[in-house]
Amino acid sequence: MFDTLGDKNSVFAKFQKLAERAKAVEATGRSPFGMRFDDMLSQTRARVGNAEILLAGTNNYMGLTFNPDVMAAAKAAIDAHGTATTGSRLANGTYSDHLDLEDELKDYFNAASAIVCTTGYQANLAAISALAGRGDHLLIDADSHACIYDACRLSDATTIRFRHNSPADLEKRLSRLPVDGARLVVIEGLYSMLGDVAPVAEFVEVAHAHGAMLFVDEAHSVGGYGEKGRGVSQAQGVLDKVDFISGTFSKSFASIGGFCVSRHEALELIRLVSRPYLFTASGSPANVATARAALALIASDSTLAKSLWDRVHQLYTGLVDAGLTPVSPPGPIMAISRPDEHQALAEWNMLMNAGVYVNLAIPPATPQAQSLLRLSLSAAHTEDDINQIIAAFRSLPQAG
Amino acid sequence: MTTDSTEMYNQISGILQAHSKVDIQITPQTLIATDLAIDSVEMFDLVMEIEEQYDISFPLEEASDIDTVQSLVDIIERLINV
Ligand SMILES: Cc1ncc(COP(=O)(O)O)c(C=O)c1O
Repeated sequence: MFDTLGDKNSVFAKFQKLAERAKAVEATGRSPFGMRFDDMLSQTRARVGNAEILLAGTNNYMGLTFNPDVMAAAKAAIDAHGTATTGSRLANGTYSDHLDLEDELKDYFNAASAIVCTTGYQANLAAISALAGRGDHLLIDADSHACIYDACRLSDATTIRFRHNSPADLEKRLSRLPVDGARLVVIEGLYSMLGDVAPVAEFVEVAHAHGAMLFVDEAHSVGGYGEKGRGVSQAQGVLDKVDFISGTFSKSFASIGGFCVSRHEALELIRLVSRPYLFTASGSPANVATARAALALIASDSTLAKSLWDRVHQLYTGLVDAGLTPVSPPGPIMAISRPDEHQALAEWNMLMNAGVYVNLAIPPATPQAQSLLRLSLSAAHTEDDINQIIAAFRSLPQAG
Repeated sequence: MTTDSTEMYNQISGILQAHSKVDIQITPQTLIATDLAIDSVEMFDLVMEIEEQYDISFPLEEASDIDTVQSLVDIIERLINV
């Protein structure tokens, strides 16, 4: 099939090992990285071939993808403004909806500025690469998401990693830096793979004590954490101290898009210089309308977060009873560490056979090269759904 | 090599040996990833250990330039002297 892989001067030659690894994975049954959902039946159910699968790995934390109000908002936006903006924010791609969403984000986070981007990936690239320039230092958590690493590559600043979730290690590194140049510390509120929470309050103290600003990516934590779902920074009482918060509309907000908000009004200036912001088309009217409708619900309907956390505690207890204790304390992301990639893959297939979809996470996408079965919960999961997930895990040969 | 850098070279060799699963004689030209079979996860721990020992921070851009033992020693010397 891939006949050009063998030629050492082919552009594809570098993928030879990868192709072999992918083939070995496929030989075990389905490919966890090439899943096709033939039909979405609800927020939590999909048809895969002839099977109905319970979804337990879709980051659909608030379960709003089929919410009637949210769907109506998306449909109305298409009727009113068409299917796409066909232009960047700076040119013809800013509609009143984009600006209204920015105002609503400012209100929600009590921020002085807000910038809406087309994806969360782009929001991090746009903000981080523009804020940290030549002669500056970026200090990032070692377990940062790929888009934070990519943002650092795009930035002209010098990037230094500190130990995961260690304000003490950050402090050491900050005190080693030369006095000249700006310093930006980047962390996540809730880490996407292991589901552990950052000590944001401690980080903000250390950063500010050393003249650095703190940037927190709350992609996974908006919705499930903090009063009105405003994230881990709010939950730890430091929303007014954190300098920048970024996030995505692709998880709790049931849409596509991203944002960066700041207590500093000057964030607005990056609109004129940030390449990832400038050189891509803006979010479609339906995406923006979806995000706005979801934000209104997340901010006003506390039953969503409550349902999510009820299910979190139910599943956590069930997994512990099954001898499969997640690596982090209870939260909407649960990761179960497996001895190796081979076993994780076999178990992933068994769970699919039992009608449950979770994420398989393997190196290099995981911290410390762990092999993980990763679950993410939704406010739309029912008690029975969680019982089905627990039963599927209990049926694994290695369960206790 | 000065006494200082010989001492550093010996210290680094010791740390590398401790992280490596293969038992070979380390020379300045030894390739860390291939000859010593140190993968990227192991390399991260190793860099953290060296950073602690010498009170330095490796910029991410430089960490990816490390291939031979000598290249690692050179970077450390440069970082100590800034
Ligand atoms: C921590 C983190 N930041 C940013 C993103 C990017 O979000 P988006 O899907 O909107 O590009 C993700 C999503 O995978 C993420 O996990």
